[in-house]
Amino acid sequence: MSAASSAVGNLPTRLRNFFARYPPQKYSALVAPQPTPREASQAEGTEAAEKSLPSPYTPNRDAKGTPKPDLEKYSFSRALLHNDPNFPNPFLPQKIFRTGKWKGPRYGLREQADLVKLAQKYNVEPLLPPGPKSTPYKAARLSERGLAIKGTGIGQKVKGHKWERTMEARLEDRRKAMMEMPEMIRLWKQRGHGRGWRQWPKR
Amino acid sequence: MAKKAKSRTIPVRLISMAMTGYYRTMIRPRAHRPLSMLKYDPVVKKKVLFLEATKGGKAK
Repeated sequence: MSAASSAVGNLPTRLRNFFARYPPQKYSALVAPQPTPREASQAEGTEAAEKSLPSPYTPNRDAKGTPKPDLEKYSFSRALLHNDPNFPNPFLPQKIFRTGKWKGPRYGLREQADLVKLAQKYNVEPLLPPGPKSTPYKAARLSERGLAIKGTGIGQKVKGHKWERTMEARLEDRRKAMMEMPEMIRLWKQRGHGRGWRQWPKR
Repeated sequence: MAKKAKSRTIPVRLISMAMTGYYRTMIRPRAHRPLSMLKYDPVVKKKVLFLEATKGGKAK
């Protein structure tokens, strides 16, 4: 117990205040019910596979590419964001059912990010409530969505514009031509400034 | 019917030999020998050799 209390004493004031206000016994991600990732991802995977599989007989333009993510659908990352109505998660918005209105999170995304970074520094991140800035949520969402930037994955590349694709070769040509330029000019002057020139370029 | 008379002068294209794709267009007498001159190429920012490009690949 003394070790724990000393560890708490080592925490910065900001984190200590947060934990005093939202004790980890009630609010942290540790006590939140954990969704099972395997079942969820399997269910989602088969569903997505069925959706994206185009019929070979009816050419369907909408079947091209990956289906758009359904925001209403169950997903593992969303299930991670547990919100107990008795202990409202300060990192998530709350719906007030009496009025039907939404109340924003107690901590904005920037403050959440600050807290998560601080907690990571002191190795107490699991004691924070689950939120959109937490490491497990980000990892789960990344695995669901994949990288948003095209061409950044392993073995991927983007085609690019033609001028980008051919730039290297063109610069190399130019460099070679400029290397030979003094010799060319010398020859040209020697041959009567073009009178005896034979190799005219083609248009 | 007589053919239309050819003009005495022709426009020609002088291509930068720095392989930059830069060119200048000039007008020379049809009977003259092909043009070639040292001119400034703004792409490589140097004076380089410009040679007249032959249209059908046939030089005089």
